[in-house]
Amino acid sequence: MADIIKPDLSVVKQIISSGGESLKKCYQCATCSVVCKLSPDDSPFPRKEMINAQWGLKDKLVSDPDIWLCHQCGDCTAYCPRGAKPGEVIGAIRKMTIGHYAFPEFLATMVGNIKYLPLLIAFPVLFLLAVLGATGHLHIPEGEIVFGHLMPHTIIDAVFVPVFMFAAIVFAGGVLRFWKNIHGQCNGKCSFASIIPALISVKLEILAHNRFRKCEVNKGRAIAHMGVLYGFIGLAITTALAVFYLYILDRHSPYPLNSPLKIIGNISAIALLVGITLMVINRFKVKAQAGIGSYFDWLFIWVIYTVVLSGILSEVTRLLGIAMIAYPIYFLHLVSVFFLFFYAPYSKLAHMVYRTIAMVYARKAGRD
Amino acid sequence: MQDILIIGGGISGITTAVEAAETGYNVTLLEKNPYLGGRVIQMNRYFPKLCPPYCGMEINLKRIRTNNKIKHYTLTEVQNITGNEGNYEVTLKINPRKVTEKCTACGECSASCPIERKDDFNLGLNTTKAVYLPHELAFPYRFVVDTKACIKCGACVEACKYGAIDLNMQAETIKLKVGSIVMATGWQPYDASKIDNLGFGKYKDVITNMMMERLAAPNGPTQGKIIRPSDQKEPKKVAFVQCAGSRDENHLPYCSAVCCLASLKQITYVRENIPDSEAFMFYIDVRTPGKYEEFYTKVKGDERVHLIKGKVASIEQDGDSLTVEAEDILSGNKLRVVVDMVVLACGMQPTNGTLNNISRDQNGFISQVQGNGIYAAGVARKPADVSSSVQDATGCALKAIQSVVRG
Repeated sequence: MADIIKPDLSVVKQIISSGGESLKKCYQCATCSVVCKLSPDDSPFPRKEMINAQWGLKDKLVSDPDIWLCHQCGDCTAYCPRGAKPGEVIGAIRKMTIGHYAFPEFLATMVGNIKYLPLLIAFPVLFLLAVLGATGHLHIPEGEIVFGHLMPHTIIDAVFVPVFMFAAIVFAGGVLRFWKNIHGQCNGKCSFASIIPALISVKLEILAHNRFRKCEVNKGRAIAHMGVLYGFIGLAITTALAVFYLYILDRHSPYPLNSPLKIIGNISAIALLVGITLMVINRFKVKAQAGIGSYFDWLFIWVIYTVVLSGILSEVTRLLGIAMIAYPIYFLHLVSVFFLFFYAPYSKLAHMVYRTIAMVYARKAGRD
Repeated sequence: MQDILIIGGGISGITTAVEAAETGYNVTLLEKNPYLGGRVIQMNRYFPKLCPPYCGMEINLKRIRTNNKIKHYTLTEVQNITGNEGNYEVTLKINPRKVTEKCTACGECSASCPIERKDDFNLGLNTTKAVYLPHELAFPYRFVVDTKACIKCGACVEACKYGAIDLNMQAETIKLKVGSIVMATGWQPYDASKIDNLGFGKYKDVITNMMMERLAAPNGPTQGKIIRPSDQKEPKKVAFVQCAGSRDENHLPYCSAVCCLASLKQITYVRENIPDSEAFMFYIDVRTPGKYEEFYTKVKGDERVHLIKGKVASIEQDGDSLTVEAEDILSGNKLRVVVDMVVLACGMQPTNGTLNNISRDQNGFISQVQGNGIYAAGVARKPADVSSSVQDATGCALKAIQSVVRG
């Protein structure tokens, strides 16, 4: 006996309004499933996702690991005979899924809608201004430019460690619910003990971008994404080093440009800047074939730009000794980092977590 | 005074011409090829009765021959149309055939000709000499010189016992006055090499449906034997790829209306010619409206015919064979079928023209402008099969007559 399908129009509308406006054009020819180099032979994607989305079957969509195996190469969109842009639709489904697993969900709604952007920005700005005010730092410090004079490291830690923890907890909740949903489809192959080796091999694959390189229409995408990923990894290492310098060696910033911390940090920032710029260029280059992406995608791109440019500029203006510019830009940097981390579980950055989980599942279930 | 001008001597144009002429009106029928019959005459068989095209065509050609109200021109193109309903002046260019009415089609000229050209009637599957008979049952039954290929060596002039070849024959321009015009300019097969993932032009054994008609036709390049272009072997497994460039925004956005039935028909060619053969037809939807449903059911009933719902999006050559890949939507799994030959069901593209009086829709089909006395019949107007085109053309004859009467 076949399942009784209960269409949910609100889900369809949600997908359409978040970048999947072409969804209804799909007529199920399955060209997409064949031209996709990432799609497995058994129940390939994205044809089945397209029909599930057309019927608004949210339960199926949010527990579908395949939407994360998609790397939005755009090959499906380029060959789609109907202009249904499966790549863009799957992107919109991922956005919905991120919102579904995030808590509280209203934050996800806000991150996904441009009309809430001023509010989202206002929160870290006002919060950090309040912190500066409460600690008596609401002015441009005198003398040599030391960012610690604006916001001492103790305060930085007091603000950003909880922000980071908040994101981590929201992610943990999402991951547990997501895993619970996909675990059942794994046919008993996803035992807890076998997850760790799978996770390691998936991490290695992500580092090498093997799947990403299979993109045809948007060949430049893998390189651009690598720049961004390695940039972030480098900056994470820089942060860890900074903790080590500060708390173990008791050496305070600013550090000289030839210190290992500075070298790694600056190279990473440049990798990030180059990567994200290539990503923007690629998106415009393949706009006609693969689609330009949604607000959700672009918000993430602009946040990364703000983080990396404010970081680089605050360093440059500090070295030039222009306090009137250096401190405000540093403040902007803090705001953008706060924005990036605090909203991470609700933003496109969440793909990092869910895609990894889905790839672990795929490895165990033999779908990659 | 000629009353009605019909542009295009395929099944639609011929039908309009004979229907109008038999009610007493004078008609002029133009054809740019050296023979009448258009695309239909290239077919092996019609669906669904599977009779050869000469069935209907011979009767129609006889109606043309025996009716002095029909004047027909081959190798003729329209250069200009001026005027309005009831009062059009049309400029025609008659290209030189270079073979006169004295020709008896004995073939001595061809035998003497040193030049080979691609046989466009057989879609390039073989060659002919530069002086050639377009096909076995051509009307008019007369040879023609391919002016582009001919090097004017004069061998054919010497060989012809009847003095029927005049290599210095020049194009002529004539003017006609007519009351109404029927565009029956038909179609051309969509250029399959534009579909870069289906391997046409890259792999020899990926052919188009029109090529399949010629391969299966008794008067075709293989005398009706279905063989692979690469090695002349009989294909045991043949894949039919539907919507090759049709219903596709990147190619032709519309459904060509006939390709499903054409492929089902061609499956019967393969199954009859090669008894141990197997046919695979990959489709998005099988569109066999009305009474054609029976034909679909009949072909589907053959246990060596497999219909698979899912569009082919990749064809790769693997040694001697071709791997056709689709998602079998009904099972939800990818399917790779290894076959010997692939037939692309290419759609119909309206023949384009440069006449400025003609209004066309976004796909290039001719649309009617109310009250101007210019009509379109058959596939010039919309994708259609032969029998719908004939009905359309008959109706169009009445429209054209009304314009003459009004004018």
